[in-house]
Amino acid sequence: MNALTAWLERYFLPIATKIGSQKHLVALRDAFIGTIPATMAGSVAVMINALIRDLPPQFFDGYDGNTIPIIREIIEINGYVWNGTLAIAGLIFVFSWGYNIAKAYRVNELSGGIVATAATIAGITFSFSGGITGLNLDQSTIDAINEAGWSATATEITAGGWGWLPLSNLDANLFFTAMVIGLVATMIYVKLMLKDITIKLPDSVPPAISKAFASIIPATVALYVVSIFYFVFSKFVPDMTFLEWIQKTVAQPLLGLSQGFGAVILVALFVQLFWFFGIHGPNVLAPILESVFGVAQITNVNLFQQGGAELVISEGYKWVRGSFDAYSWFGGSGGTLVLILAILFFSKRKDYRTVANLSVGPGIFNINEPIMFGLPIVLNPIMFIPFLLAPVVSVSIGYFATIWGFVAPVSQQVTWVTPPFLLSFLATGADWRAPIVTLVAMLASFAIWVPFVIAANKMDATLEENKAS
Amino acid sequence: MIEISSAVQQDKIIALLNSYQEAGVEFSFKEKKGINLYFETNIDDLEKAAKLAKKAIKGQTWGSILYFRVIPVQ
Repeated sequence: MNALTAWLERYFLPIATKIGSQKHLVALRDAFIGTIPATMAGSVAVMINALIRDLPPQFFDGYDGNTIPIIREIIEINGYVWNGTLAIAGLIFVFSWGYNIAKAYRVNELSGGIVATAATIAGITFSFSGGITGLNLDQSTIDAINEAGWSATATEITAGGWGWLPLSNLDANLFFTAMVIGLVATMIYVKLMLKDITIKLPDSVPPAISKAFASIIPATVALYVVSIFYFVFSKFVPDMTFLEWIQKTVAQPLLGLSQGFGAVILVALFVQLFWFFGIHGPNVLAPILESVFGVAQITNVNLFQQGGAELVISEGYKWVRGSFDAYSWFGGSGGTLVLILAILFFSKRKDYRTVANLSVGPGIFNINEPIMFGLPIVLNPIMFIPFLLAPVVSVSIGYFATIWGFVAPVSQQVTWVTPPFLLSFLATGADWRAPIVTLVAMLASFAIWVPFVIAANKMDATLEENKAS
Repeated sequence: MIEISSAVQQDKIIALLNSYQEAGVEFSFKEKKGINLYFETNIDDLEKAAKLAKKAIKGQTWGSILYFRVIPVQ
């Protein structure tokens, strides 16, 4: 094992360190983390609505929360919370993204956030249009509609307007565009700031003012470069905005790819491998976990708010960031809560049982440091196979249960310290079948862990015999 | 004493904490048992010492990706 550790430190850790400390990837991770106050608040609002609006009709015929006093008002208030959070999650993210890039380069963070936000919004459509055909309108109606600024004929109405930012351009759909444009604009701003191409004011000017003035030239250049790009892009691709193009050519294929069984298993496997070798898996893999599976999750949360579980099932993503927590990482990565139970049932080793007893409490809340380092699991050869295999199997169970429609996809953002069964129940918008899927996944994991716990007993017995002889 | 559990970068952790000197807090490496490293410290508040050690390791480029644990031990 020492040779393996030395090999890891020499060849693998430098790469992992580079990924884990690469300025832009760290900024991207921190940008996602930075949005948590808003996304969690929005998720709480959507979840409360799920519990008081969407769950009761499953059990009570004729229940309609929107008609019940107090419930109706709470639903409405939750709607406001959603408006300011998840409905504009992409907008919140882009500010956080620019802020964190600027922070990584130690230049004015606030201006970094503003530049990224302004540059991204600059390319969003401000107009809308839509129409209805197959009508039979009289002349006075036609005249009234035309006078109002829309266009009407006897059989159709074409409505259009300017001055509107569509929510579909500010929510999860904005993330990939924000990542590209936000990065380019903020980096232009950052480089010019670092080259000191700035307006300098006398020392007597208050710092807040001189900082803002120093950012004027870099920010203006960044915004003009991006705007010229939008202009040129619109000439080459006149039928869609850059956001729509990114969605079509990058985001949707990438998110689609993430829904494949192979991709999901590969991520699950890599997270376990990293943990086993003492590397913070989700930290290193954050760019994938958050920017792909995390974006898919926010899309699902928004779909749930708009149309409940049915809309998520029909249009949402099947596997998102929270799906790992719901069906595999019970007790923490590796599904270690199941290992704790396996030890308590089958282990005869005093050291194992002591660690397991101490680990139950934290494990219920998905904190597994006590068992990971106490047993230990990290770098423990006998634990290698079950630690890798159990999550792969449990992810597979959750994946196929969702794909085959046995359970609704995860559509709520639930904090990871929520105990296992409650977590999957809440994460799926109160689908009562989700805890059952979690239970099945846990039982399968249990069956994988048990032989290795028993094997550890024998190893201990051997050691005792050796000592005795 | 504090116990640091880390599977990798143990030499770097030892070097870092042996040379640590901030706000009068110092660490000195005592022994290694498997993935666990033990350090003596010159302050009585072991919780604080554990927090400072954790912060120092996380502050390193190589430490930001480590999965490790720091706990006070008697």
